[in-house]
Amino acid sequence: MKYMKNKIYLIPLILAIFSLSVIAISLQLDTSPEMIVGDSMQARSFPIFLMVLKLFLLGILTYQFYKNKPKAVSLEKYHTWGSMLLFLLFYLLTVYTDMFIGIFVVIFLMSILWGEKRLWVAFLTATVTPGLVFLLFDFVLKIRFPRGILMNLYYG
Amino acid sequence: MFEQAISAMASVMVDPYLLGLIFATTVLGVIIGVLPGLGATTGAALLLPFTLTMDPVHAIAVLATIYVSATFAGSITAILINTPGTSAAAATTFDGYPLAQKGEAGRALGIAVISSTVGGIFSVLILCFAAPLLARVAYEFRSPEYFALTVFGLSMLASISAGGAVKNLIGGIFGVWLSTIGAERVTGIERFMFGNYELYEGLHFVPIFIGLFAISELLVQSKTVDKIIKTVSMKAVKLPTKEDYKKIWKTILRSCGIGTFIGVLPAEGATVASMIGYSEARRWSKNKKEFGKGSIEGIAGAEAANNAATGGAMVPTMVLGIPGSGTTAIILVGLMVHGLRPGVYLFTEQVEKVYQIFGSMFVANVMFMLMGLYAAKLFARVSLVPTQILWPIVFALSVIGAYAFQGQLLDVWLALIFGVIGFFARRHGFSVAPIAVGLILGEMVETNLQHSLKMFDGQWWLILTQPLALMFLIFAFLGLCGPMIFSWITKQKD
Repeated sequence: MKYMKNKIYLIPLILAIFSLSVIAISLQLDTSPEMIVGDSMQARSFPIFLMVLKLFLLGILTYQFYKNKPKAVSLEKYHTWGSMLLFLLFYLLTVYTDMFIGIFVVIFLMSILWGEKRLWVAFLTATVTPGLVFLLFDFVLKIRFPRGILMNLYYG
Repeated sequence: MFEQAISAMASVMVDPYLLGLIFATTVLGVIIGVLPGLGATTGAALLLPFTLTMDPVHAIAVLATIYVSATFAGSITAILINTPGTSAAAATTFDGYPLAQKGEAGRALGIAVISSTVGGIFSVLILCFAAPLLARVAYEFRSPEYFALTVFGLSMLASISAGGAVKNLIGGIFGVWLSTIGAERVTGIERFMFGNYELYEGLHFVPIFIGLFAISELLVQSKTVDKIIKTVSMKAVKLPTKEDYKKIWKTILRSCGIGTFIGVLPAEGATVASMIGYSEARRWSKNKKEFGKGSIEGIAGAEAANNAATGGAMVPTMVLGIPGSGTTAIILVGLMVHGLRPGVYLFTEQVEKVYQIFGSMFVANVMFMLMGLYAAKLFARVSLVPTQILWPIVFALSVIGAYAFQGQLLDVWLALIFGVIGFFARRHGFSVAPIAVGLILGEMVETNLQHSLKMFDGQWWLILTQPLALMFLIFAFLGLCGPMIFSWITKQKD
């Protein structure tokens, strides 16, 4: 357990837990009758084989970490975490309002979060970009966007 | 066959629409290449949805043009601002920037342009001759050979430059596992779908690639928002003089060979090629002391090799369906999306289209040379676009591109989720390219293993009785264990 004090071992640990979870889920998959599978593999066999291989490699990786002691990765600035939160905001806005409202809000807020001080530049980027992209995809590529507040107005 | 190939390649030159498309894409590719962080792979991932409604040849020509032009353009910022626009241009900074600091930025760019063009055209010519020959060999391949070949391709992930061997292999295995999501192809048993029937046919490559390459890069770039870029002033790009040519022609030729060979190896790419091209240029040079201080041989060695790798990487992609790099993985997806099945049949049944694609790559190499010579200064200014404007735009293109592919919002969420996964992977030293390559090769590995087991009545070891399969598996073993064995032998000798 003393090695767990070091953060670097968290990565192999998380990946190992993931691999074990995949194995557990794979073991619960249905099996096919012999006449379909024949001499080939069951659907569960290949993922289990992959995860066992991955666990073996994780063992090697942990040993490498133990020998080389890599530096722990420093925490990112608020820009990165803020951008990830904006992805969440985009999801909520797209589901409950409209995809283009989500894109507008995220571009605007991301520009400001990343250091754009001129509000009009952020606003212009947030308006022009989705507008141009919409025109290109709708008129040229003929792609229908998901319905929402704005798309209901457009498609009728 | 030869006449058919020549006429197909020549047809590119007389197709004004295709020429216009290649020109526009070359401009875009150079812009993508000079913007630090974007690069050929991200650019191709973002452009892939735009090619959906195009004719197959035009679509692949667009992606291939982005590949060659962005690979070259990385050198512009490498020389002028000491920041490689693409990872393939990292070796160019070693001598390009020092030469630019001496007031010879124009000369450095001139050498880079000429070396890149020669490297690119050389590799396209090799592609034209080698691909059909390899296709003939591949005609003999059956499931055991394909299985062994994909195992070899996956084993080569160990030597991708970014990340360590073990980390790359873990990434590759994760990618292969991703390919098992959805209904199993033989039995129809649902795997890891958790009741989500939109995943019945498996994860589609496009949103995953947009997430892994574009969204994850956005998050990586968010760490560099405070970075101030300083440019070196330059009057105009200068063509190499006779003296320069005398000094670099051997280096260029050597790097052409190295780059093409490295490119052909599955999962290796322009970055590895440029590093080896650079180090070989130094090893063979009479002026080793100049290296790192502005050697033109250093620039030529790296640039000829990275562009030569582009044509080389297309060989396994088009003939065997095994991507030679992250960008060719996206081109491979483009081929599949447009119904061009990579492999032997592409060279027997759709040979005209294949040579039109090769012809487009040839034209793209000439076009980026002209742009490099006459507009490099202008393109260098593009790199000064503020990150707080550029990356929010990339976000918009990414989410709409992910949606446009199948018209499913699930793809948008997948792109965002894989963007975050890719970011955390990169944060901890895992490269995302092995995940992409693993995802593509996953289906091939499993399907060919299943077929091989059926062929041999479940006796898997009989795969080793097939000479070609055995050869690929030995290569895979050497690829994985060779460096360890070599270092052990060296230690023993010491």
